Amino acid sequence: MKNLAIARLTRRGLVAAALTGAAFVGPAFAQGKSLTIALTADAVILDPHAANELTGNIMFYHFYDPLVQRTPELEFRPGLAESWQVVDDTTWVFRLRKGVKFHNGDELKASDVVFTVERLKKALMASLVANIASARAIDDYTVEFKTPKPYAVLHMALAEILILNEKHTRAIGDEQVGLKPMGTGPYKLAEWVKEDRIVMEAFTDHWRGKPKIDKVTFKPITNPATRTASLLTGGVDVIQDLAVRDVASVRANNAFNVIARPSLLNIVLALDTRDKSPTIDLPVNPMKDRRVREAIIRAINVDAIRTVVMNGFSTPSDQYVPASHLGYVPGLDIRKEYPFDLDKARALMKEAGFEKGFTMTLDTTNNRYVNDGPIAQALASMLSRIGITLNLNLMPRANFFGYIRVPSDKSSFIMSGWDTPSGDAGNMYNVLLYSRGKKAGYGQANRGAYSNAEFDEWIDKADATSDMKQRHEFLQQATRIAVRDIPMIPVHYEQDIYAAKKNVTVVPRMDKFIWAYEMDVN
Amino acid sequence: MLGYLIKRLIQMFVVLWVVSVLVFVMMSFTGDPTYMMVPLDATEEQIENARRILGLDQSHLVQYWRFLSNIVQGDFGRSFVFRQPALQLIMERLPATLEIVFLAMAMALVIAIPLGVYAGANPNRWSSRALMAGSLVGVSLPGFWLGMVLIFVFAVKLQMFPSSGRGPTSEIMGMRFSFTSWQGFLHLVLPAVTLSIGTLAILMRIIRAEMMEVLKQDYIKFARAKGAANRFVLFKHGLKNALIPLITVFGLMLGDLIAFATLTETIFAWPGIGKLLVDSIYRGDRPVIVVYLMFVAFLFVLVNFIVDVAYAFIDPRIKIK
Repeated sequence: MKNLAIARLTRRGLVAAALTGAAFVGPAFAQGKSLTIALTADAVILDPHAANELTGNIMFYHFYDPLVQRTPELEFRPGLAESWQVVDDTTWVFRLRKGVKFHNGDELKASDVVFTVERLKKALMASLVANIASARAIDDYTVEFKTPKPYAVLHMALAEILILNEKHTRAIGDEQVGLKPMGTGPYKLAEWVKEDRIVMEAFTDHWRGKPKIDKVTFKPITNPATRTASLLTGGVDVIQDLAVRDVASVRANNAFNVIARPSLLNIVLALDTRDKSPTIDLPVNPMKDRRVREAIIRAINVDAIRTVVMNGFSTPSDQYVPASHLGYVPGLDIRKEYPFDLDKARALMKEAGFEKGFTMTLDTTNNRYVNDGPIAQALASMLSRIGITLNLNLMPRANFFGYIRVPSDKSSFIMSGWDTPSGDAGNMYNVLLYSRGKKAGYGQANRGAYSNAEFDEWIDKADATSDMKQRHEFLQQATRIAVRDIPMIPVHYEQDIYAAKKNVTVVPRMDKFIWAYEMDVN
Repeated sequence: MLGYLIKRLIQMFVVLWVVSVLVFVMMSFTGDPTYMMVPLDATEEQIENARRILGLDQSHLVQYWRFLSNIVQGDFGRSFVFRQPALQLIMERLPATLEIVFLAMAMALVIAIPLGVYAGANPNRWSSRALMAGSLVGVSLPGFWLGMVLIFVFAVKLQMFPSSGRGPTSEIMGMRFSFTSWQGFLHLVLPAVTLSIGTLAILMRIIRAEMMEVLKQDYIKFARAKGAANRFVLFKHGLKNALIPLITVFGLMLGDLIAFATLTETIFAWPGIGKLLVDSIYRGDRPVIVVYLMFVAFLFVLVNFIVDVAYAFIDPRIKIK
């Protein structure tokens, strides 16, 4: 009887094994290194000109290459372009690498670059080419770009423009581009099962050399606890966004590494500087007075937010952009200029004539930034200590970005995040701090309606030179003014937390774009 | 029968129309989806451009009219986010959901029927009372909690089942299924169990209650009196007469699980349609939400229709008119 049962079990085992072998469909892979990475979401569309969300961006840089490449530390190095030069204030010439192959064997030509720029102008992501007036192929390997105004960091902006194959794209049409990406990138798409996996194979003819890992699988696992479980059970090798509550237990396990690094996302508070503010029931807006703005920044204890709300996983911001960026002023720290000091803050409020305080509303999200709701609550309790009653208006991000949109006529105090992967403070200052309505393309997200002619002037100067060093200096001047005027309070940078098996080399990138080409498995 | 069919069809169209209006009205309160698609530093021009690309540059009324006239021509609209036909997005994810739901419902039926009949036939035994108490726990367990516990125990600690995902799939008639391979089947088990517990508990309670009712009837006494075997009395005479409410509830639960297996799918990273709904709400992807909810309404109408037809088969006294 017992023997019979064992025999039956064995037979079932054999059948199961046979089924597994027979039923597994999918591309066959050569033996080699493989890696499985769990992300928080699936990509929605693989057309790099049609979407701007993190998972999609991660995929794009595997299938496509830009002319100029960003390193993990946000430095810029030649990509598909091997060199470039600034011919005059508004003309740049890029020389393409020769012999770069697309996945289908076509060679990259200047016409593909021109086609890409033309296509982008009509696409959803048209903002990527806002600083390119025209592109022209001089010969097969030389492209000339004209900028609408001098723009010293065009090469940095080009790091976000991924080059498509003209012939192929025209042949298969826009919808198919979103499903079957084909570029010069280090990986080819092997299989995409929606919401289950994206499998990619190494592109052996990649111009920078064959990738070390032959097969990479990305799996969307939305639930953070499930992501951790998948790592622990060996289902995946690397996970994105390890939940903060799991950090200690994963770290304690010898089989895994936890990697954390500050991201580019700076959480900022925009203070209304108009004469009258929508949610403040006073004849004049107190925050028009710089002393009140200083009192507010002095009343906010970012270290307490870091330890209590963020469990230590945030980096208090010293300026509006990180140290890697143009426009960063070494040695200047807004936290040292205005350290947390309630007595000083109360004194400033009294000096400005608002000893009794006032009431206003903070608008922010409850599902967009890490712990956005708890941060808002912490701010309310901190500001209450200098007499400011902060009402909280939390909303899902689907409503938020329309609600706070300039002219922001419903808001006095807004918390949101801003990242500038272009590596240039100018991109942020133009949009967030330049006076509203003065020039097209400037101040369109200036939520506090900050306006300072001196600040604008430095930005104008920065945007009038094609010399990067000069631009850097002009932007630094702007940074100094902003730190002096406090039109916006930078709070902290969020941290990205990854966990991986010990044998996987993970290179966390400042722009969050996980890139298998830089990884390895031992 | 034909008259009944036509009446049902008209009913269905009315329901679908009402759902589409409701969703459109609701979605007009949730903000302009354009702002979620464009970068935060987009200029007015770029936003206008994006609106035009998405078809959001017209008034809500015009948008709704366009939506309706397209539907009549068989076009259910395109997702803002995916830029693909909304119906296709749902259809390509449907097999995954159907797979766990059918397995869950099968498990629930196979376990609930004998246990329910047993508890109904012997209501005073302690084992029946224990079953009833257990079913209360089953009804009240939140799915997401149960899912997490199952993952922790069976995947992380015991390593018996994979923690998430769909595993290898094979194609049958253009649709992908997991159950065809052992590995794929293992991936199915935990999410299916999570889904089935609540349904199982409810079905069991209904069967018990109905059985207690039916067993008091004269024909049961008669069957027993003529000496029919106990099993025969319970399942042939008893259960068959207790089936009508069971089928009604079964139909509703089936529709419910297919449409809203959302939480279970999210926890197990199962690539089904429930997750599509949540993501679409999150992204303000109105075309997908509208078509999804219309699809769900259609599903319920269909299930109810099948339930009605099933009545007539089970109970010859019922006629479809």
